[in-house]
Amino acid sequence: MNDQVKISIRNLYKIFGDTPQAALADVRAGMGKPELLEKRNHVLGLSDINVEIRTGRITVIMGLSGSGKSTLIRHLNRLIEPTAGEVLVDGENILTWDETRLRRLRRETMSMVFQKFALLPHRTVLENAGMALATRGISRKEFEADANRWLDRVGLEGYGGHYPHQLSGGMQQRVGIARALTSNSGIMLMDEAFSALDPLIRTDMQDLLIELQAELHKTIVFITHDLDEALKLADHLVILKDGAVIQQGEPQQILLEPADPYIEDFVSDINRARVLRARSIMEEGPAEGEISGEIDHNDNLESVIAMAEGALDRRYRVMRDGEAVGSLEMPAIMRALVPRQASRKTARN
Amino acid sequence: MAIYDSVFDSLGLREWCDGGGSGEGPMSMAELLARSRGESGGGTGGASLWDLPFPSLDALHDACGVIPESRDLTLGLERGFLSMRDALRVVIDPVTQPLSWMLRESLAVMTNTPWWIMIPLLLAVTWLVSKSWRVVVFVAISLALLAFVDHYNAAMQTLAIIFVCAFICVLFGVPIGIAMSRSDRLQRIVIPILDMLQTLPPFVYLIPLIFLFSVTEPKLYGIAIILYAIVPVIRLTDLGIRLVDKDVIEAADAFGMTNRQKLFGVQIPLALPNIMAGVNQTIMMSLAMVVIASLVSAPGLGVLVLRGIRSLELGVGLVAGFGIVLLAIMLDRVTKASLARIDASQARR
Repeated sequence: MNDQVKISIRNLYKIFGDTPQAALADVRAGMGKPELLEKRNHVLGLSDINVEIRTGRITVIMGLSGSGKSTLIRHLNRLIEPTAGEVLVDGENILTWDETRLRRLRRETMSMVFQKFALLPHRTVLENAGMALATRGISRKEFEADANRWLDRVGLEGYGGHYPHQLSGGMQQRVGIARALTSNSGIMLMDEAFSALDPLIRTDMQDLLIELQAELHKTIVFITHDLDEALKLADHLVILKDGAVIQQGEPQQILLEPADPYIEDFVSDINRARVLRARSIMEEGPAEGEISGEIDHNDNLESVIAMAEGALDRRYRVMRDGEAVGSLEMPAIMRALVPRQASRKTARN
Repeated sequence: MAIYDSVFDSLGLREWCDGGGSGEGPMSMAELLARSRGESGGGTGGASLWDLPFPSLDALHDACGVIPESRDLTLGLERGFLSMRDALRVVIDPVTQPLSWMLRESLAVMTNTPWWIMIPLLLAVTWLVSKSWRVVVFVAISLALLAFVDHYNAAMQTLAIIFVCAFICVLFGVPIGIAMSRSDRLQRIVIPILDMLQTLPPFVYLIPLIFLFSVTEPKLYGIAIILYAIVPVIRLTDLGIRLVDKDVIEAADAFGMTNRQKLFGVQIPLALPNIMAGVNQTIMMSLAMVVIASLVSAPGLGVLVLRGIRSLELGVGLVAGFGIVLLAIMLDRVTKASLARIDASQARR
């Protein structure tokens, strides 16, 4: 994994309405979403978005419905044109590209997975999986092997000849993922890809995505409204509200230091013991004194508590790749399990 | 004396009226009758408000000779059309000539081919289109029945005309429908025209065509049938393409399909059930029109119906009418069966 920026979104604005440019001036002068709607009858879709999406990472954009997350992801392949701002892919502003170049970007650099699957109902599963390649003009004979390989990989062996409506929702979305993978693009855009699935299947699909990502290291932009899902998948978490980014960063960091009461509300309901990891709350530096055992830096607190059998006087050495990187005391774990209301003050200062 | 005389007198227009008036031209029968009745009835002085006629052209003409009668309006239309006729003919005649040629050829082929080739051929086509033995057996029995009562030739003529006209309707209707689905402006222009074509009484189509073309030309009825029957296929193509799932279209865009790929790979296949429903309607409407078109020398079962009416041959008219019903059921079942086949091969989501 490297830390190169793959996609960079800069000062992006999107205003829906008849004269967005005129409304843009107002927004830049500080007019808010409700006021804009009331005075100018324009809807503020996105407001001053700045996000860097790094190569080989999963960037999760989270927000409730109406927060503009689906609008934002459609700017990355220009299914929606912004009102102002820049979208740089590999350092080039795609907003200046002509249709041919944009089409090549959509065909070869980016693929997309949709909430409602959006498979072609009149084509077989195999043809759907090979859709990206067929669009590039590659014949069925040539893409068949690729498509079959990815269908096998997502667990759909032998379903190539079926039609999408013969499959369950979860299987249809596996076809959607196979379709995106077969295109062999470096970037995958996933628009609430698992939101339409029931919880058990959703967990399966999340595991599948993590598994695939460990192997493929794609640049994934994942949209969701589900915080558990976001925390499970995200390397970088972006939280949107009313079209603006209110906090972004490492998910553990957001969990421990929410910058906004809105996010505090959000994170107060989740199982912190399962999400927080040793590395986020450990004390760095060599562990001194009595040590009860060793834990990995990526272990979650739940497993540490289980290891300690609930006892509070334990102290662990935190290891990363066989090296000691810090220590963790049980009281620190207990403190981390309580959502920090106090952070409200510090965050505002 | 006309009632509105006083109006023109008071406006000081009497002179203008008399000046332009044709004086005492030949009187129409109605005028003569009115005059004699007026004299015998005892003057006009007692004209009460109760008898006040609407100030129509005719009533005003009675009072003021300059104002034309309603008859002049229709006469003017007729003269205008006749003076345009030669110019129209120069353009329309060559353009529509292929239609005459197609109708003649098709009539010749369908009636001159021996029945023992024609009937199996039609049954083979039925099988190819519907893939249903029940429909094939039904068509076989119906054709045999028609042939048995010596209506084979007339039925073949009717079918020949319908095949040619429906083919042309699809040939032009589907592209027009596609164009409409892509441009809201075109849709706004075309829909009133379609409404007019659909509500204009079928006989009215024939009137201008009789003036334009000689009655011996098959295209005379061909054009009437096509204008009448093309409406549903245009409407349903437009509707079908507009109804294609927006999510699927978005997916096609996201994978970089060109407009052409989208049209032929996604929109038309997904709109096909609707388009086929339009074709079914078009065939049924051309069957309805082909009977009326027998007034202008269209051959086929309609001629026999017409004979039944003209010379009060009840039996001839009824048998031919029943034959038309049989043809209609045949055509409907065959196209419906093919429609069902298309539907079954598509997802119902």
